[in-house]
Amino acid sequence: MREKYTYNCIKSEIKIEENKIQSFQKTASATQSFRIYQNGFLGVHYQVGKISDDRGFALAEEKLSLKRQYKYPLESGVRHRDKRERILTDKELMELAQECVSHLSEKYPRFVLSGSIFQRQTDEHWTNENGLDYQNIDCSVDAGIIFKHVDSKDISDGWFGFGNRNFSPEKLYEMAENYLGSFEKQIDLPEEIIVQKQYYDFYGKLTESLNAEEIALGTSLLSGKVGQKVFADSFTLLHDVSDEECWHNNFWDGEGCVTQGDKRVFIENGVVLMGYSDKRTAEKYGVPHTANAGSNYCDIPYIGWINGRIKRSDKTIKELLDGRLSVVPVAYSGGGFNDKGDYVMPVHLAYLSDGEKFLGKLPPFTLSGNMFDMFGKDFIGVGSDNPIFNDKQILVKMKGSKT
Amino acid sequence: MYKFPKDLYADVRIEEKSSSNIYIKNGEVENNMAISSVGAIVRVYDGEMWYSSVTNDIASIQDEIDNLAKLAKPNPGIVNDPMVKNLQVNQISLLVYDGDNDLRKVSRDRKMQLLEGLIADCVDKTIPEINTWEAYYNDNHKVKHFYSSKGAAITQDRQACTAGMLFKITVDGVTTTGGKHYQKMDFDGLLNHSEEIISERDRALDFARNAVDVTPGDYICVLAPVVTAMFTHESFGHKSEADFMLNDKTLRDEWVMGKKVGNEKVSICDSGDMPNHGYTPFDDEGNSACETWLIKNGVLTGRLHDAHSAAVLGEKTTGNSRAQDYQYMPMVRMTNTYMQGGSDNVDKMISEIKDGIYVYGVNYGTGNSTFTMQPNICYRIRDGRLAEPVRVNVVTGSVFRTLFDIDAVGDDFQLFDTYYCGKNDQTVPVSAGGPTIRVKSLTVN
Repeated sequence: MREKYTYNCIKSEIKIEENKIQSFQKTASATQSFRIYQNGFLGVHYQVGKISDDRGFALAEEKLSLKRQYKYPLESGVRHRDKRERILTDKELMELAQECVSHLSEKYPRFVLSGSIFQRQTDEHWTNENGLDYQNIDCSVDAGIIFKHVDSKDISDGWFGFGNRNFSPEKLYEMAENYLGSFEKQIDLPEEIIVQKQYYDFYGKLTESLNAEEIALGTSLLSGKVGQKVFADSFTLLHDVSDEECWHNNFWDGEGCVTQGDKRVFIENGVVLMGYSDKRTAEKYGVPHTANAGSNYCDIPYIGWINGRIKRSDKTIKELLDGRLSVVPVAYSGGGFNDKGDYVMPVHLAYLSDGEKFLGKLPPFTLSGNMFDMFGKDFIGVGSDNPIFNDKQILVKMKGSKT
Repeated sequence: MYKFPKDLYADVRIEEKSSSNIYIKNGEVENNMAISSVGAIVRVYDGEMWYSSVTNDIASIQDEIDNLAKLAKPNPGIVNDPMVKNLQVNQISLLVYDGDNDLRKVSRDRKMQLLEGLIADCVDKTIPEINTWEAYYNDNHKVKHFYSSKGAAITQDRQACTAGMLFKITVDGVTTTGGKHYQKMDFDGLLNHSEEIISERDRALDFARNAVDVTPGDYICVLAPVVTAMFTHESFGHKSEADFMLNDKTLRDEWVMGKKVGNEKVSICDSGDMPNHGYTPFDDEGNSACETWLIKNGVLTGRLHDAHSAAVLGEKTTGNSRAQDYQYMPMVRMTNTYMQGGSDNVDKMISEIKDGIYVYGVNYGTGNSTFTMQPNICYRIRDGRLAEPVRVNVVTGSVFRTLFDIDAVGDDFQLFDTYYCGKNDQTVPVSAGGPTIRVKSLTVN
């Protein structure tokens, strides 16, 4: 049986350096993966650039000599998903970048701005001789602006940006007003620290702990906790590739498996339901198969692809805050979770916020918490709306100590 | 070779890369792959802007040059552009990894035998707390060709390989990871390291069994050479990259040459010529490497440049313009960066401390005005001796203060080839080095 995966990406990027457009770069990349399944073994040839199918499969057949075991049947199914909303020409992208750079540098002359604005068009396509034909096409424009105050002795002070399928410069300007317009107003650190931020940095330890193999081996913080209520009633974590704020993510896993509704719940109302697995892990450890195989398309699949999402609350960020103020970390580095699940992070730049608008800049401080508390007793929720970041965000109580 | 456009500067960088990877977990081969790729970046500069294009189709390079030239504005004075004038015209073929040491010639069997040997030596099934072990090998070999409209024609190569073992050790529901890996420039350098891996395995085991949480606070800290190396790279190395200060008066005033920025025992150097992980004899603009002393005896003496930053600041190029690969434009990056060893005895350094922290190893670090490091293994120092292992999440300090607070620099210099450095979404291989140092005060959490 034969299988072929192709990935095409066209990226147009405009680099900004010290308030000026510095460069334009166009990248067209194509990669292909040819797979041959034979007698319980998988031969894979990964090709950067173009190659004929005959040659690709011939090279894959040669790789069967590596004796890479893979005994699972191929998947089938047909689905084509095109998430594109708008495609800019390079000229339009350049005009957009020029407009953004002019606006930001004129309105905020006390800042040095760098970064980039780019458009990425991707096309992923997977077919096999068992009737599988999956394709995901997407296009987004992303802006990332690194800012530095003219009086600052740091290399940079912070960063803001976002991506969108239908990019709006006005949203970038709203972000800039929050981040740059509030920078020079200094505010004291509040006694109660409610952190408001996109939650990707926070849940890495949790998703790492949900690996079914690690749970089975006893090396996960969730080992022995499957079926138990460990987190807050309002905390539900799922794998979700239907997410409208996630770009360029396909809907199949590294073994060609899909989930119902493009979702799979792992933690529901605080109860750990199961870990995530691929076919090998599910069979080896007798756990549910959850279609979470990753693939680098160079070798056999492996466990580990998860697009983790925390279920949103019905309430907006402001409603969840209920009159309280939040702390938005912007520049932070060096810390993270330790083996015990304790979290410590030096925060170099953060703002005080009413949930939608920044009120001023906070002094540097150190943020701390624990994974079980952050998604347990200290978890407030994920808002139903997307203020500040143009993306989903968590509210969680943590400790803050001045540095 | 290529027909370059008139009244514009242009260059072409072609990269041929081969890599392989083997990963064994608890006896199962989970990864065994090899990849080869060829790609190129074409750049055109008109004095105002760069226009660049990336392709995997080497036959299309001339078309890419011609198409980019149509986007740019012809500039008859381009040869006198200060940046263009800084671009050297080197013509050389410097292939040092195409003989018997060429990693592409090492068979898969030999790589597998290396790992099987490590596994036989280092996996001890009688240790109950070790529930997962991993052995891994990876290598890469790259040949780069560079051609410019000024006449540069450079072919050079680089390679590196890694092998190591990790152990997951679970004690009371908490899993600690320990072990060691080696990065070398040729395969033979990876042989005969089992004893050191066993030593690190046992150290991690002792840590997992006995470590206690540190009491947060400010401590006198002794940094082991590998930690000093990270500190040097993160805390000061990035500040020596000149591209962050081009038109920034505040930073240019702050980092003026001749300024005292640290204790006189502190000297820091970057050199792309050394045959280590940051080996870059010619950078990705075709300029040659040189030894650049960034700090000499506590005084700021140099910084790292590409052609553009050197032109803006009126200084000499240093050969530090590097790109992750052919898909990226180069920017100012470190190569092999180290703090020079001193003359202080390490045992004496520790014996003079009544209460402090010895930072033995580090996961990663970052650098701004405040630098941070996430250690993996630390020990308390009590009454001049190493005491119990302590769990430390993060060590922080002010760069500006810490360089002055270094009051002892050890005589045990080591250079480490295991680093990769990230900046603006690009990762490049680097080396970092240093001796044991003592710092009067750092914040430990």
